[in-house]
Amino acid sequence: MQLNPTEISDLIKKQIEGFDTEAEARTEGTIVSVMDGIARIHGLSEVMSGEMIEFSNGAFGLALNLERDSVGAVVLGDFKGIKEGDTAKCTGRILDVPVGPELLGRVVDALGAPIDGKGPVSTTEMGPIERQAPGVIERKSVDEPMETGIKALDAMVPVGRGQRELIIGDRQTGKTAVAIDAIINQKGKDVKCIYVAVGQKASSVAGIVRKLEEFGAMEYTIVVAANASDPASMQYLAPYAGTAMGEYFRDRGENALIIYDDLTKQAWAYRQVSLLLRRPPGREAYPGDIFFLHSRLLERSSRVNAEFVERMTNGKVKGKTGSLTAYPIIETQEGDVSAFVPTNVISITDGQIFLDTDLFNSGNRPAIDAGLSVSRVGGAAQTKIIKKLGGGVRLDLAQYRELAAFSQFASDLDEGTRKQLERGARVTALMTQAQYSPLKTGELAFSLFAANEGFLDDVDVDKVSDFESAMLSYVRTEKTDFLNSINDNGDYNDDIAAEMKSTLEDFKSKGSW
Amino acid sequence: MSELTTAARPYARAIFEMADGAGNLTEWSDSLDFMSVVASNGAVKELLSTPAMAKHSGADAFIKLCGGKLGDAEKNLVNLLSENDRLSLLPEIRVLFKAQKDESEGSVEALVSSAKKLTKAEEDEISKALKKRLGRDVKLKVSVDESLLGGAIIRAGDLVIDGSLKGRLSKLTSTMVN
Repeated sequence: MQLNPTEISDLIKKQIEGFDTEAEARTEGTIVSVMDGIARIHGLSEVMSGEMIEFSNGAFGLALNLERDSVGAVVLGDFKGIKEGDTAKCTGRILDVPVGPELLGRVVDALGAPIDGKGPVSTTEMGPIERQAPGVIERKSVDEPMETGIKALDAMVPVGRGQRELIIGDRQTGKTAVAIDAIINQKGKDVKCIYVAVGQKASSVAGIVRKLEEFGAMEYTIVVAANASDPASMQYLAPYAGTAMGEYFRDRGENALIIYDDLTKQAWAYRQVSLLLRRPPGREAYPGDIFFLHSRLLERSSRVNAEFVERMTNGKVKGKTGSLTAYPIIETQEGDVSAFVPTNVISITDGQIFLDTDLFNSGNRPAIDAGLSVSRVGGAAQTKIIKKLGGGVRLDLAQYRELAAFSQFASDLDEGTRKQLERGARVTALMTQAQYSPLKTGELAFSLFAANEGFLDDVDVDKVSDFESAMLSYVRTEKTDFLNSINDNGDYNDDIAAEMKSTLEDFKSKGSW
Repeated sequence: MSELTTAARPYARAIFEMADGAGNLTEWSDSLDFMSVVASNGAVKELLSTPAMAKHSGADAFIKLCGGKLGDAEKNLVNLLSENDRLSLLPEIRVLFKAQKDESEGSVEALVSSAKKLTKAEEDEISKALKKRLGRDVKLKVSVDESLLGGAIIRAGDLVIDGSLKGRLSKLTSTMVN
């Protein structure tokens, strides 16, 4: 790019003219020790908790421990060049990150600085990373669906906009895959997505960004990454930074989805910081406020009412509610959900999606355990048609699991039991879904309808997914308008049921799968 | 440093309360000045840190070093500090004692470093302005630091008022870089 010299001179002139030449009054302290990313500072008598501190090498710190004669601060970023005896200045600023739509499509670090090599981000606003969650009066109950496009989830553990639904499971059970599918499914739905990667390999994050770009999902997504090699302070702050970016959209009457991948590693990072600050360790060596660490974070994901949005935008946006939906991810060890951090986060969230290693290994992907997965408010937010058709599937699966365990010992089964087992096996097969292929409401409705009305009963179990894909492509080509009308309004009545039934009968009579 | 402050605080406070009650704050202030100079001398530090200096011999040596300038109460203080292995705290105790003394007298010490030597009128003006800002009498300690290029920096406790050319230039640098 050709730079215009006068333009730059003007810019510099403006900067110099606008430069405040008043004498600067500040409080200063002296660094006593620097170790493991923690600086102890003597002095700084007027420092605030959570205030940014500027070190002599230009790096910033965050004051966390205010003690009688010293301040414990974590160094954000590079602590090379900070040494004992250096001065540290108060900045009078609580830590904040850039927010706004300019960040969409970018990969940034925990302080909002771009790390994707695409140049600077030209945001105009900053948001504090620690903020009080909206109060009781400012909230609105959850009544819009947040569709993931995953059959098993939308039918059995539905999530509403503004809800917090935990994704929990061992390593390698497809937790991230569920979350990425949910992001891809938001295409064209005007939902902004934020993917917060905490303590992951840089290669995994790069892979996820590439996948999101491939499916055109990066244009409405912000990726906040604090990789495994970043300091623990950054890993601890990344979820708060991502939430600040999500709140920007929520407060302007838009809908946003945030994924924390994963909060276990954030808890580890916070444990490291806390122990180095010499805060007393508690259970599993976590500090005393580990519950509050996650509860104050997840409480900020909420649905807010129109008055709140109007007040936050100074009356510019009227009559629109905003929402921030959260999918926190927790990794368990050997399926142990009763460990400290998993129980904490389970009790904070509005339900959980439990992913099971055995199901995953036996090819049921996504490996959702229908018995242990619940959603506490999602039912109120389902579209009518999915609510009507999804209930049967959940019941079929629950009965099937029980009977399947029992019938292993029985050689002779009565007609009713056998039928239920066969139905269950087919529904289980139907619930498997390939990665990166989210379904629309109408398609999901047809699949569920086929299972409920017994269209699958005479299809071989290993042919179920072929049947389904053939059926869906038939419906897509032959009944496009009908499918679109279901996608758009999600109603369900006798006419719609009759039309679906006749469509499926037509398809089945052709026998082309 | 912060750990030293924490350890020195109870001693400084005890000495202050005792001196304040007896009305000899200035004498104590002077003798603490003297003792801390002795204690921070490199050779003395080395001597006191040797394991051979058992508790009492350390105190005796220190008192002898001071050459009969110490009163009974001061000698007791040295013995007590030596017993608790805290003789090295003396400079810190002095700082805290002075701060407490200044506070009780409603005065504060301010260090002014300027690029050029200040005139008497300038000094008066600075102390008047500082008195208004801090609400206390100000004892100025003036020094000259040519690296500031121009203007002055005032330090009173943790508060730093930077009106130097050097400070402004570095602020200009950081605004232009960001």
